[in-house]
Amino acid sequence: MAAEALKLDNVKKSFSGTEIIRGLNLSVGQNERHAIIGPNGAGKSTAYNLITGRYEVSSGQIFLNGQEITNLQPYEVKRKGLSRSFQITNIFPKMSVFENVRCSLLWAMDYKYSFWHMVGKQPELNENAEKIIEELNLKERRDTLAGVLSYAEQRALEIGITIAGGSEVILLDEPTAGMSVSETEYIVGLIRKVTEGKTLVVVEHDMGVVFDLADKISVLVYGEIIATGTPIEVKENQAVQEAYLGAAMEDH
Amino acid sequence: MANGTNNTMSMSSVLPWIIAAIALVILPFVFTGGGSITIMNQIGITIVLAMSYNMLLGQGGMLSFGHAVYMGLGGFVAVHVMNIVEYQEIWLPLPFLPLVGGLVGLGFATIIGSFSTRKAGTVFAMISLGIGELIAACCIIITVFFGGEEGISGDRTMAPPTFGIEFISQKEVYFLIAFWVLVSTFLMYLFTQTPVGKMANAVRDNPERAEFVGYSMRWVRFVSFCAAGFFAGVAGGLFAINFEILTELNLNLNASFTVLLATYIGGVGFFLGPIVGAILFTLLQTVIGLKTDLWALYTGVVFILTVMFLPAGITGFFAMHLVPWHLGRFGMLLKPYAKIFLPALMFVIGAVGLTELVNHSRHHGDEVLMSLFWVEFNTKSAVPYIVLVLLTAVGFWFSRLFAREVKEAWGDATFVEGQGR
Repeated sequence: MAAEALKLDNVKKSFSGTEIIRGLNLSVGQNERHAIIGPNGAGKSTAYNLITGRYEVSSGQIFLNGQEITNLQPYEVKRKGLSRSFQITNIFPKMSVFENVRCSLLWAMDYKYSFWHMVGKQPELNENAEKIIEELNLKERRDTLAGVLSYAEQRALEIGITIAGGSEVILLDEPTAGMSVSETEYIVGLIRKVTEGKTLVVVEHDMGVVFDLADKISVLVYGEIIATGTPIEVKENQAVQEAYLGAAMEDH
Repeated sequence: MANGTNNTMSMSSVLPWIIAAIALVILPFVFTGGGSITIMNQIGITIVLAMSYNMLLGQGGMLSFGHAVYMGLGGFVAVHVMNIVEYQEIWLPLPFLPLVGGLVGLGFATIIGSFSTRKAGTVFAMISLGIGELIAACCIIITVFFGGEEGISGDRTMAPPTFGIEFISQKEVYFLIAFWVLVSTFLMYLFTQTPVGKMANAVRDNPERAEFVGYSMRWVRFVSFCAAGFFAGVAGGLFAINFEILTELNLNLNASFTVLLATYIGGVGFFLGPIVGAILFTLLQTVIGLKTDLWALYTGVVFILTVMFLPAGITGFFAMHLVPWHLGRFGMLLKPYAKIFLPALMFVIGAVGLTELVNHSRHHGDEVLMSLFWVEFNTKSAVPYIVLVLLTAVGFWFSRLFAREVKEAWGDATFVEGQGR
């Protein structure tokens, strides 16, 4: 049996003595669509930051496809095939949409630190970038500076940058935060399309989106996973009801 | 299709370089006046240096206060090599000397960059400042290599002749410099088109995100830093050839600030920015420097005004006019521009005149006659003061008045439906 796409083994993280992540265990199978839900401040974004090397873990281990990636640098984690998006849009604002996407492809297409290739003269690279922009529905904005795109467009570009490298494991952090209903629909459709055949982990507050996208849900409360299961199992879980979902579901 | 676009692309991308090459060949025959070749040589050297500096500041987002170090070290070694060549211990035609400078710049940039590029921002800036001060201090202390305050001098004409050229005249040196300016500029342009050059922009914009697409921000910065060091060294080699002397003044903090100023005034966001800056700055330094000893003051004022009102530099000022131009509304700007021109000119003449007049009476008080803007007058009389104060005041008042119109016209000329400010 193939190893789990992503596995966290008793991961802990303290900030100046306060334990924010208190023994996180998570296992995401190959090609699974896994949602992480939980109240604000539960440690969802912190968990992402630990997985992707933005923060160092205090203890515990993280594995990607069976290979340990604990405390690697963000670029090393990315090179091993894990890519993430951010809750707060994190793009290259002074570069065009096209340049944003093309830069995100460079390492994955093995250009590395080359200074003997002209990026403009690499047909495959440019075609790939164009293809992704088309998938993102941003073709008309191709040459616009990313910083002046609308919010929804920036969120789409954020996802584009995340998936561009062809990583097998994709972590999305609240992809629909702050979006209108129609924008949410567009982004969810986009996520479905571009993560086809990949392992997806998504942190999301919109329960509609979560139950729509995910095969499996983990509930994170105060730095611990209190339940993991299929959407139906989680919905019916008493502890989850009490800690989080009851209140959250009423909103929708 | 791909083939067709590629061909047209390569033609349109080669054309500017051909034009630049032709311009470089023609220039010394156009500007034949006394000293113009000397000034152009200086401009050429400054162009290479400012462009290399912009690899850091504009393209990589690294604010260096010590870039002249790499030019200076490259230049010092180049002069030493020039002297070794003179005694025929090695054979090296003069046109290759900038390459020596470049390699020295590259070498030092590799050593210093290995720790200074770890962080960008303030840390990088402070390290560059420290290194700049350190090397300048070494310059005075290690007299064996740097020659103390007199510096090190050489004789370029003693190198083996290149196709019979011994580089005795300034014009011969001009063509050597022009060749290196073209080659360096072309290579630096190519660098911006490489994966690492593109990622330098990405790291400048958002270093963290760059790491999440697979690039180590530190390594990207390091590669840019080394490349910038190389071309600064080339500029140093050219400097050695042109002036045949290097002193501490060429690599101290003052020299580094000069590069910063020239590059910034030209416009850091544009590839051509440093070229514009180098030309303008050198002219300011040489042409205006001959007319007044206050040139550094004017340079400072121009720099502050650029930072405050034209953060994209002179090149940015012209580039932003492309928007109304493409919208076909450029004409809307002509009238307000024409209107503000005269009062602005009056203000500049008045303010500069007053400054010069005060400076004159403070430092050359015994000379009664003074010539300013081709007008000679008696400095002991009140008339020039009154005239200049009036010019300044009236110019200022009308400039402010018309500035509003310019602003409004600009708003109208660049307004695009549905696009926020």
